[in-house]
Amino acid sequence: MKILFYGRLAESIGRELELQMAAGCSVAELRRKLELDFPEAGATLANRRSRACVGDALVHDDYVLRSGDTVGFLPPVSGG
Amino acid sequence: MSVVAHLEEQRLDPQRELGELLALAGGDGAVVSFVGIARPESSGGQPVDELLLEHHPVLTLKSLQEIAVEAAERFDVSGIRVVHRCGRVWASEAIVFAGAASKHRRAAFEAADYLMDRLKTEAVFWKQETGVAGSGWIEPSDADYADRDRWG
Repeated sequence: MKILFYGRLAESIGRELELQMAAGCSVAELRRKLELDFPEAGATLANRRSRACVGDALVHDDYVLRSGDTVGFLPPVSGG
Repeated sequence: MSVVAHLEEQRLDPQRELGELLALAGGDGAVVSFVGIARPESSGGQPVDELLLEHHPVLTLKSLQEIAVEAAERFDVSGIRVVHRCGRVWASEAIVFAGAASKHRRAAFEAADYLMDRLKTEAVFWKQETGVAGSGWIEPSDADYADRDRWG
Protein backbone atom coordinates (compact mmCIF):
# COMPACT_ATOMS: atom_id res chain seq x y z
CA MET A 1 0.00 0.00 0.00
CA LYS A 2 1.39 3.39 -0.97
CA ILE A 3 1.12 6.17 1.61
CA LEU A 4 1.73 9.83 0.81
CA PHE A 5 2.44 12.61 3.29
CA TYR A 6 2.13 16.39 3.01
CA GLY A 7 3.34 19.45 4.91
CA ARG A 8 4.92 18.85 8.29
CA LEU A 9 4.19 15.09 8.01
CA ALA A 10 6.31 14.88 4.85
CA GLU A 11 9.07 16.72 6.68
CA SER A 12 9.14 14.21 9.55
CA ILE A 13 8.24 10.94 7.76
CA GLY A 14 9.12 11.55 4.10
CA ARG A 15 6.94 12.13 1.06
CA GLU A 16 6.10 8.51 0.36
CA LEU A 17 6.07 5.18 2.13
CA GLU A 18 5.28 1.63 1.00
CA LEU A 19 3.67 -0.47 3.72
CA GLN A 20 2.11 -3.94 3.94
CA MET A 21 -1.16 -3.83 5.87
CA ALA A 22 -3.59 -6.66 6.64
CA ALA A 23 -6.65 -6.86 4.38
CA GLY A 24 -9.63 -4.98 5.76
CA CYS A 25 -7.52 -2.53 7.75
CA SER A 26 -9.17 0.83 8.39
CA VAL A 27 -7.69 4.31 8.06
CA ALA A 28 -7.78 4.56 11.87
CA GLU A 29 -5.70 1.37 12.21
CA LEU A 30 -3.19 2.58 9.64
CA ARG A 31 -3.00 5.93 11.45
CA ARG A 32 -2.29 4.19 14.78
CA LYS A 33 0.46 2.07 13.21
CA LEU A 34 2.07 5.18 11.76
CA GLU A 35 1.85 6.91 15.16
CA LEU A 36 3.81 4.00 16.67
CA ASP A 37 6.33 3.77 13.83
CA PHE A 38 6.91 7.55 13.67
CA PRO A 39 6.42 8.93 17.21
CA GLU A 40 7.82 12.31 16.15
CA ALA A 41 4.80 12.67 13.84
CA GLY A 42 2.35 11.17 16.35
CA ALA A 43 0.82 14.43 17.57
CA THR A 44 0.15 15.63 14.00
CA LEU A 45 -1.29 12.27 12.90
CA ALA A 46 -3.55 12.22 15.97
CA ASN A 47 -4.63 15.86 15.56
CA ARG A 48 -8.40 15.86 14.98
CA ARG A 49 -7.92 18.41 12.19
CA SER A 50 -5.59 16.10 10.23
CA ARG A 51 -7.39 14.29 7.42
CA ALA A 52 -6.83 11.25 5.22
CA CYS A 53 -7.60 10.77 1.56
CA VAL A 54 -7.74 7.72 -0.67
CA GLY A 55 -6.92 8.59 -4.22
CA ASP A 56 -8.28 12.10 -4.52
CA ALA A 57 -11.20 11.75 -2.11
CA LEU A 58 -11.21 12.66 1.59
CA VAL A 59 -12.22 9.70 3.75
CA HIS A 60 -13.16 9.14 7.40
CA ASP A 61 -11.27 7.02 9.92
CA ASP A 62 -13.62 4.05 9.47
CA TYR A 63 -12.88 3.77 5.75
CA VAL A 64 -11.72 0.21 4.97
CA LEU A 65 -8.59 0.15 2.82
CA ARG A 66 -7.94 -2.14 -0.12
CA SER A 67 -4.55 -3.44 -1.23
CA GLY A 68 -4.15 -1.15 -4.23
CA ASP A 69 -5.21 2.02 -2.42
CA THR A 70 -2.99 5.08 -2.27
CA VAL A 71 -3.60 6.78 1.06
CA GLY A 72 -2.66 10.39 1.78
CA PHE A 73 -2.31 11.91 5.23
CA LEU A 74 -2.97 15.64 5.33
CA PRO A 75 -1.95 17.69 8.37
CA PRO A 76 -4.19 20.66 9.32
CA VAL A 77 -4.57 22.88 6.26
CA SER A 78 -4.08 26.63 6.11
CA GLY A 79 -4.81 28.94 3.20
CA GLY A 80 -5.14 32.67 2.77
CA MET B 1 -23.62 34.38 -12.01
CA SER B 2 -19.88 33.93 -12.49
CA VAL B 3 -17.78 31.85 -10.12
CA VAL B 4 -14.03 31.67 -10.69
CA ALA B 5 -11.58 29.70 -8.52
CA HIS B 6 -8.03 29.53 -9.75
CA LEU B 7 -4.73 28.17 -8.47
CA GLU B 8 -1.86 30.44 -9.54
CA GLU B 9 1.63 29.00 -9.76
CA GLN B 10 3.34 32.21 -10.84
CA ARG B 11 2.74 35.81 -9.81
CA LEU B 12 -0.63 36.96 -8.50
CA ASP B 13 -1.41 40.49 -9.67
CA PRO B 14 -4.18 41.89 -7.41
CA GLN B 15 -4.92 44.82 -9.74
CA ARG B 16 -5.45 42.49 -12.66
CA GLU B 17 -7.73 40.28 -10.57
CA LEU B 18 -9.75 43.29 -9.40
CA GLY B 19 -10.04 44.39 -13.02
CA GLU B 20 -11.44 40.98 -13.96
CA LEU B 21 -13.98 41.16 -11.15
CA LEU B 22 -15.02 44.71 -12.06
CA ALA B 23 -15.45 43.65 -15.68
CA LEU B 24 -17.76 40.80 -14.75
CA ALA B 25 -19.68 42.96 -12.26
CA GLY B 26 -21.13 44.89 -15.18
CA GLY B 27 -23.93 47.10 -13.93
CA ASP B 28 -23.87 45.82 -10.37
CA GLY B 29 -23.52 48.34 -7.58
CA ALA B 30 -20.88 46.74 -5.38
CA VAL B 31 -17.53 45.02 -5.62
CA VAL B 32 -15.58 44.04 -2.48
CA SER B 33 -12.14 42.48 -2.64
CA PHE B 34 -9.54 41.23 -0.19
CA VAL B 35 -5.84 40.71 -0.91
CA GLY B 36 -3.75 38.58 1.45
CA ILE B 37 -0.04 39.41 1.46
CA ALA B 38 2.91 37.37 2.73
CA ARG B 39 4.08 39.04 5.94
CA PRO B 40 7.78 39.95 6.21
CA GLU B 41 7.85 38.72 9.80
CA SER B 42 6.58 35.73 11.72
CA SER B 43 4.06 35.86 14.57
CA GLY B 44 7.09 35.72 16.89
CA GLY B 45 8.61 38.81 15.26
CA GLN B 46 11.38 37.00 13.32
CA PRO B 47 12.12 38.20 9.76
CA VAL B 48 10.57 36.02 7.05
CA ASP B 49 12.03 35.92 3.54
CA GLU B 50 9.69 33.51 1.82
CA LEU B 51 6.60 31.43 2.25
CA LEU B 52 6.16 27.98 0.74
CA LEU B 53 2.55 27.10 -0.11
CA GLU B 54 2.58 23.35 -0.58
CA HIS B 55 -0.54 22.00 -2.25
CA HIS B 56 -2.26 18.73 -3.20
CA PRO B 57 -2.46 17.99 -6.97
CA VAL B 58 -6.25 17.62 -6.92
CA LEU B 59 -7.75 18.47 -3.52
CA THR B 60 -6.38 22.01 -3.38
CA LEU B 61 -8.18 23.33 -6.45
CA LYS B 62 -11.26 21.33 -5.46
CA SER B 63 -11.30 23.06 -2.06
CA LEU B 64 -11.05 26.50 -3.71
CA GLN B 65 -13.89 25.64 -6.07
CA GLU B 66 -16.13 24.33 -3.28
CA ILE B 67 -15.61 27.42 -1.13
CA ALA B 68 -16.27 29.76 -4.08
CA VAL B 69 -19.43 27.91 -5.14
CA GLU B 70 -20.79 27.78 -1.59
CA ALA B 71 -20.23 31.53 -1.20
CA ALA B 72 -22.13 32.12 -4.45
CA GLU B 73 -25.01 29.97 -3.21
CA ARG B 74 -25.14 31.52 0.25
CA PHE B 75 -25.09 35.24 -0.61
CA ASP B 76 -27.01 37.37 -3.08
CA VAL B 77 -24.00 37.93 -5.33
CA SER B 78 -23.52 38.03 -9.08
CA GLY B 79 -19.84 37.08 -9.10
CA ILE B 80 -17.17 35.41 -6.98
CA ARG B 81 -13.47 35.40 -7.82
CA VAL B 82 -10.88 33.47 -5.81
CA VAL B 83 -7.25 33.26 -6.92
CA HIS B 84 -4.72 31.60 -4.63
CA ARG B 85 -0.97 31.28 -5.06
CA CYS B 86 0.91 28.03 -4.61
CA GLY B 87 4.64 27.36 -4.50
CA ARG B 88 7.20 29.88 -3.26
CA VAL B 89 6.01 33.38 -2.43
CA TRP B 90 8.41 36.14 -1.39
CA ALA B 91 7.56 38.30 1.60
CA SER B 92 5.26 41.20 0.63
CA GLU B 93 3.92 39.39 -2.44
CA ALA B 94 0.21 38.62 -2.78
CA ILE B 95 -0.93 35.16 -1.66
CA VAL B 96 -4.65 35.34 -2.25
CA PHE B 97 -7.31 37.45 -3.94
CA ALA B 98 -10.92 36.95 -2.85
CA GLY B 99 -13.66 39.14 -4.27
CA ALA B 100 -17.41 39.35 -4.67
CA ALA B 101 -19.73 41.43 -6.83
CA SER B 102 -23.35 42.11 -5.99
CA LYS B 103 -26.17 44.58 -6.51
CA HIS B 104 -25.82 45.92 -2.96
CA ARG B 105 -22.78 46.30 -0.74
CA ARG B 106 -23.80 44.13 2.25
CA ALA B 107 -23.85 40.86 0.33
CA ALA B 108 -20.48 41.62 -1.27
CA PHE B 109 -18.87 42.44 2.10
CA GLU B 110 -20.29 39.31 3.71
CA ALA B 111 -19.32 37.06 0.83
CA ALA B 112 -15.71 38.32 0.86
CA ASP B 113 -15.54 37.85 4.65
CA TYR B 114 -16.97 34.34 4.34
CA LEU B 115 -14.55 33.43 1.56
CA MET B 116 -11.54 34.41 3.65
CA ASP B 117 -12.73 32.71 6.84
CA ARG B 118 -13.14 29.46 4.94
CA LEU B 119 -9.96 29.82 2.88
CA LYS B 120 -7.90 30.38 6.05
CA THR B 121 -9.08 27.12 7.61
CA GLU B 122 -10.21 24.85 4.77
CA ALA B 123 -8.24 25.61 1.61
CA VAL B 124 -5.87 22.65 1.16
CA PHE B 125 -2.44 24.24 1.58
CA TRP B 126 0.42 23.75 3.99
CA LYS B 127 2.34 26.94 4.69
CA GLN B 128 5.97 27.01 5.71
CA GLU B 129 7.74 30.29 6.34
CA THR B 130 11.51 30.62 6.06
CA GLY B 131 13.85 33.33 7.31
CA VAL B 132 17.27 33.76 8.91
CA ALA B 133 16.01 32.04 12.07
CA GLY B 134 14.99 28.91 10.12
CA SER B 135 11.71 27.43 8.88
CA GLY B 136 8.39 26.81 10.55
CA TRP B 137 4.96 25.53 9.59
CA ILE B 138 2.00 27.86 10.06
CA GLU B 139 -1.45 26.57 10.97
CA PRO B 140 -4.69 28.45 11.62
CA SER B 141 -5.06 30.00 15.07
CA ASP B 142 -7.98 29.36 17.43
CA ALA B 143 -9.29 32.78 16.34
CA ASP B 144 -9.21 31.65 12.69
CA TYR B 145 -11.25 28.54 13.53
CA ALA B 146 -13.69 30.64 15.61
CA ASP B 147 -14.09 33.07 12.66
CA ARG B 148 -14.87 30.15 10.37
CA ASP B 149 -17.39 28.71 12.87
CA ARG B 150 -19.42 31.95 12.81
CA TRP B 151 -20.84 30.83 9.49
CA GLY B 152 -22.15 27.48 10.77
